[in-house]
Amino acid sequence: MTPETPVAAQTAIRAAADGLKVAGESRARAARDPVNLPMIRNWIEAIDPAGADGAGPDDPDTAPPAMIQVWTMPGLRGTRADDDPLGQMNQVLDDLGYTSVVATNCDQAYHRYLKLGEQLSVRARLLDVAGPKRTALGVGWFVTTRSTWFSAGEPVATMDFRVLKYRPPEAAPATSAPATPAPVSPTSTENLVSPMRPQITLDTAFFWAGTAAGELRIQRCASCGALRHPPGPMCPSCGEPSDGGYVVAAGTGEVFSYVVHHHPPVPGKKLPMVVALVRLPEGVRMVGEMPGVRPDQVRIGLPVRATFAQVDDDLTLPAWRPAEGALPDRVVDVTPTFVVSSALATRDFYYVHHDRDRAVASGARDIFINILTTTGLVQRYVSDWAGPDAVVKTVSIRLGVPCYAGDTLTLSGQVTAEEGNEQAVSVTGRCGLGDHVTATVRIAR
Amino acid sequence: MTAAAIAGIGATEFSKDSGRSELRLAAEAVRAALDDAALRPSDVDGLVTFTMDSNAEIAVARELGVPHLSFFSQVGYGGGAACATVHQAAMAVATGAASVVVCYRALNERSGRRFGRVAAGAVATPTTSGVDNGWHYPMGIATPAATVAMVARRYMHCFGATSEDFGRVTVADRRHAATNPHAWFYQRPVTLAEHQASRWIAEPLRLLDCCQESDGAVAVVVTSLDRARDLPRRPAVVRAAAQGAGPDQFTMTSYYRDDLTGLPEMGLVARQLWRQAGIGPADVRTAVLYDHFTPYVLIQLEELGFCGRGEARDFIAGGAIELGGRLPVNPHGGQLGEAYIHGMNGIAEAVRQVRGTAVNQVPGDGPVLVTAGTGVPTSGLVLTR
Repeated sequence: MTPETPVAAQTAIRAAADGLKVAGESRARAARDPVNLPMIRNWIEAIDPAGADGAGPDDPDTAPPAMIQVWTMPGLRGTRADDDPLGQMNQVLDDLGYTSVVATNCDQAYHRYLKLGEQLSVRARLLDVAGPKRTALGVGWFVTTRSTWFSAGEPVATMDFRVLKYRPPEAAPATSAPATPAPVSPTSTENLVSPMRPQITLDTAFFWAGTAAGELRIQRCASCGALRHPPGPMCPSCGEPSDGGYVVAAGTGEVFSYVVHHHPPVPGKKLPMVVALVRLPEGVRMVGEMPGVRPDQVRIGLPVRATFAQVDDDLTLPAWRPAEGALPDRVVDVTPTFVVSSALATRDFYYVHHDRDRAVASGARDIFINILTTTGLVQRYVSDWAGPDAVVKTVSIRLGVPCYAGDTLTLSGQVTAEEGNEQAVSVTGRCGLGDHVTATVRIAR
Repeated sequence: MTAAAIAGIGATEFSKDSGRSELRLAAEAVRAALDDAALRPSDVDGLVTFTMDSNAEIAVARELGVPHLSFFSQVGYGGGAACATVHQAAMAVATGAASVVVCYRALNERSGRRFGRVAAGAVATPTTSGVDNGWHYPMGIATPAATVAMVARRYMHCFGATSEDFGRVTVADRRHAATNPHAWFYQRPVTLAEHQASRWIAEPLRLLDCCQESDGAVAVVVTSLDRARDLPRRPAVVRAAAQGAGPDQFTMTSYYRDDLTGLPEMGLVARQLWRQAGIGPADVRTAVLYDHFTPYVLIQLEELGFCGRGEARDFIAGGAIELGGRLPVNPHGGQLGEAYIHGMNGIAEAVRQVRGTAVNQVPGDGPVLVTAGTGVPTSGLVLTR
């Protein structure tokens, strides 16, 4: 029971939610335009720099699945329909003081790909209202809606969309709910990377300079050639002082042992977390986190590859990921042009994605990537890796810290499950503030 | 080594919130130990504690009115210091540096600083230890349980040990604590099923693989055997005392040795103890083995020679380490069952077993083994009549 929310208010919220649930689906709202090639080309050009310079693949005859929401976005002068359940629920919560909103999850399922010329409509209904919940942002309610897209009466895709409507800790002026809520996670602090940092001494500086440069450096004795980790000022093999010499590790290894840490909390870490002791082929061992790896994916003997987690300008930690099933990283240079063009290509005209002055005035550091773009980035990242024969079945996204203009977003992926002709790929998109997005994409081949 | 004996033991109550300062706890325990030995503060000329203890020897001396100290010492490496305090005291007595040395440990480990939490400051300390911590703290191995879990996982992999094998240590300790009125878990035994149902802390360690957190203090009085014989209590003779640090030794993270499944520093302690005492593992009547985390009890049994490498799970099967078994371990309930006083309460139990005054007295008059913290540079004792 949350003291900030009087019982009467809770009752009112639940009654409103029950009413909206009973009301069921909203009326069908038609897309302005049919599925069409110009918008697809704009979208690909904006979202996927790899396929964007005119030398990309032939024009597709189906739409990228993550565009599903784009077709029915309300547009620059659009408004919510009167019977839109999220709009109605937001109004109830606004009136009771839960004036702020962030999106937390977006799960899309695609029944089939859409061909050019298909005319879509969308209907939405309220799935769930849960609360009051105490979050890092304040006390609030999680509102989940389901949108279903239809083509000539046939359902072709669904999207479960969850927002947190919350009361800011300090009474902030009420604002109307944005068309696209700012992607600031209520649990964003747990995504921040570790604030615990090693002491960098004369004996160890070369190692940390190496991780910053994307190299795993192993101390090598100039006199006898012995390799050693952790490093120190003397060579225990021959007794000569270390001269700072090192070799760069191949960046491969296998799990020698590992821990799944559940409790207690570790500053900057999301639990449970896997930390591995890795045996390198060079003959030394090294400890590193396996970020984003599920415990059941790890075993002693698992081949791994080195990766590097940049904490800040001064510190980059060595880390490990499974060598098999890893997708190559994709680095997205998040320029203002990228933020604006991708927002417009997804028909998202909310000012925080194109108007820097207004974005800053509303408390953001800069303009930032919109959710439809994040969804598109994740889908394209996996599709490009999987190849043209793979069909994307679902994209489930959990939003973390915002990704502002000027930042760099690094997408990394890992095959986490395979069953029959289906694969699940977990994707993490990390920017300077931490994890911007964690996602699971299911594909069929 | 037969020149020294433990002539007195003392303790506060073991609780979760002592309501007193650690200095007060230390003073109470030392006072109780002196009373037990029928000695006065003015008889004391030596004090030994842990570097982790917050109470300096001079502060304890001030509180008790100990006028002069000719020997004072602090031993490092956490719970690895426990038996080493007696080792230091015995050496001081043997050399004549002091005649009555009190070893103490006082901590509000539950109501004050909890060791199980992440101590982010440990990686910032400008010492070699701080630098060492930089190789695993920032990566997320930042609690004692997590450091042990890394070794435990490898041990399970190499020898086929299971979580249930670890749980048998808990079951034994809690069974013994259940009949010890001084134990926090008095009258609260657990089953193996309860161990298996307890939540993960750092896989493969469950909550019930981790010792409890306690407030309390323990002190022991060491003097020459000749003097101890003139005091009212039956002396617990320090038949052997040893410290050990192994190859490529780190504090809790000796992950870079060839073999991750052993505790070579305990093996070194064991060899010294058996040599000094002129006995072997088969002669031990009961063993007080440091049990902050269950897997290290199994590995200790192997390093001490009670069984072969990787065979501890077979050794402990069928209640062998419970009262009435082949080698009763931790008859007071250990740190899992009685209290976590950094191993010092185990030394007090060993003294009671030698005297014949323990609540769970193991029959016979044979030697009693005590070990100190594991995963760290450590120490051990053999006490006899």
